[in-house]
Amino acid sequence: MLKKTISIIGSGPSGFYTAYRLLKKSPIPIHIKLWEKLPVPFGLSRYGVAPDHPEVKNCEETFKLCFKEHFNDYDYNNCTSSQDQQQQQQNSIEFIGGVTVGGSHIKLKQIIDNQDIVIFSYGCQSDRRLNIPGEQTTKGVFTSREFVNWYNGHFDYSLSEKFNNFPWSKVKNIGIIGNGNVALDLTRILISNQIDEIWNNTDISKIALKNLQNCNIKNIELIARRDFLNSKFTNKELRELWELEKYGIKGTINKEFFNKNQFDIKNMDRTLKRRVEMCDEYMKPFNERTKKNYKKFKPLDIVTKTWELDYLKTPLRINKDSNGYIKSLTLCHNIITPENRVVPQLNEKITYNIDLLITSLGYKGVPLPEFKSLDIGFQKDHISNVKGHVLSSSGNIIPGLYASGWIRRGSQGVIASTMQDSFEVADTVIKDLATNLNGQTNYPKKLNVESIPHITWSQWESLDKEEHRRGQLSSKPREKFLSIKDVQDHLSSL
Amino acid sequence: MFKLQWNPNLKKNIISLAKNNQTRFLNKRQYSIHHPRINSICLTRSLPLDTTSITNTTVTTATTNSTSFKREFSNFTKLQHGHLTKPKPGEELKITFVLKDGEQRTYEVAEGDTLLDIAQGHNLDMEGACGGSCACSTCHVIVDPEYYDALPEATDEEDDMLDLAYGLTETSRLGCQIKMSKDIDGIRVALPQMTRNVSNNDFNK
Repeated sequence: MLKKTISIIGSGPSGFYTAYRLLKKSPIPIHIKLWEKLPVPFGLSRYGVAPDHPEVKNCEETFKLCFKEHFNDYDYNNCTSSQDQQQQQQNSIEFIGGVTVGGSHIKLKQIIDNQDIVIFSYGCQSDRRLNIPGEQTTKGVFTSREFVNWYNGHFDYSLSEKFNNFPWSKVKNIGIIGNGNVALDLTRILISNQIDEIWNNTDISKIALKNLQNCNIKNIELIARRDFLNSKFTNKELRELWELEKYGIKGTINKEFFNKNQFDIKNMDRTLKRRVEMCDEYMKPFNERTKKNYKKFKPLDIVTKTWELDYLKTPLRINKDSNGYIKSLTLCHNIITPENRVVPQLNEKITYNIDLLITSLGYKGVPLPEFKSLDIGFQKDHISNVKGHVLSSSGNIIPGLYASGWIRRGSQGVIASTMQDSFEVADTVIKDLATNLNGQTNYPKKLNVESIPHITWSQWESLDKEEHRRGQLSSKPREKFLSIKDVQDHLSSL
Repeated sequence: MFKLQWNPNLKKNIISLAKNNQTRFLNKRQYSIHHPRINSICLTRSLPLDTTSITNTTVTTATTNSTSFKREFSNFTKLQHGHLTKPKPGEELKITFVLKDGEQRTYEVAEGDTLLDIAQGHNLDMEGACGGSCACSTCHVIVDPEYYDALPEATDEEDDMLDLAYGLTETSRLGCQIKMSKDIDGIRVALPQMTRNVSNNDFNK
């Protein structure tokens, strides 16, 4: 029996967990080709997860195991010797890094035509925007995706002049628009980067860290359209921000937006109940706190920096100074109707003076260039699908095509939810693989990648090793390669 | 590069080295080891470092390649799961897992092993995406109410992660945070049905 060939596009958590599940559970032998645009794997685990959350990146160890146990740089459908035939019966996986699907070396159509199954798991590569005047033309306005990529050492941003030539020393007041975990990560990194014990031993880009440490931050305002109860962040991230009080970094929420007595706590779910309790306790003076969990570390008496959760505002306009730098942000108040709709009150304008604005409205999925010609459906920010089966623009299932992770569901959820999603999609694929076998004649589907210049898994392993080596010189888990050129130089030096 | 041969002395040294070098940040401890023979190991964990977890860590040492003088370094290793401590005769503790299909499996295990270690050591369907460091919710278990109160109370960090678990119940805990002890000998835990809450996107046209 010939191996079924599967191509997975994107090697972030969704791609990897799909591959992991397939390798583990497939009842018939499979060969997986894992395509990645960058020369390095792991997507948002490497470039999205905050550098001070290294334990979240431990999922990479599971991904590495996939390769340790099933690694093949070679497609055994092409060989004939008896040893090879034995290996034909084993699942295998191969990494094709540094190759853009739809780019000059390989078209999506070629992959679809030459593989039994193609799974899209390329995540969300763009930003949701405010679409207000000044957003794209003002200096000092960044999207969260750019910003996170910059400090995580992403090749496209780590050396960008837009960031590295920005006058960070002038930054005192910051506005962050959005209320998800990314907004809290950004706040934590901006407000605590001068505390060496948090940042010195992380893999944050050292260029970014040096720049950020030049800021003289006084206050960070986290601005949301809706109210406290609609906040999207998780309690872990919020707790980390409150806990910074021991360094003299204090948070607040205006009474107008947070009044424990006005909340219907009884009918809240567990998560929200705990969030309300946490905020309520942390805003009390230390001595008046009731639970010992909130009295672990005494806050510093001197408050040097503050952060504030601000609600029910819609940004209207970004105002710049004569040099084109951001000066202030004009907003208006919102009300939420009983039907839970946000209505901006355009006659109630206010202005915040800020030196830096980050829009953290979520990552946005975009279609691949060939989706139109291949009639692959795309709606809003994700691939049209039913339980992972990709649909055509007219809503019919396209056999053999699947989607998993953020590109299937939109940019929501932590790695654990992406894992769950990927497992479900992989299980669907396995079920289809098994049923397709019945009665159908198989013909080998081959895709030769030898002619495509790409980074192999072994090359990535040597890059990985080098990053560790560089990191170890300064007691960090790793020091990332910041440019493609640096990667190429290293690989050619081997 | 070669595998480090474990002997009790070396193990003791490494643990003391790691403990001397630990730094705390937020609620985590970071251990790093710098030693001429063991080039470096970096462990990050929210739990205290103990002998069991150190044994389970693969450590590789640095060597000097005499011809090229190119130094090779170890990889960052996480605490590997799936390796169980053998219980001492007469000190076996019992645990029963109720699997997703309802099947029950009972194992004899050693004191100190976590439920995640045990499940992975017996190839049960339990992920530990964050490597047992209380940073995800993939090792969620539902504890038999009869045993729930015998467990040490969950920390805020564990509760924060449980917030995100699917099919959360009143007696939910994280498998990586429960260590076997005499107090919970005979404990029964169920693996949650992994059905995700249905969202609008599941009904896309």
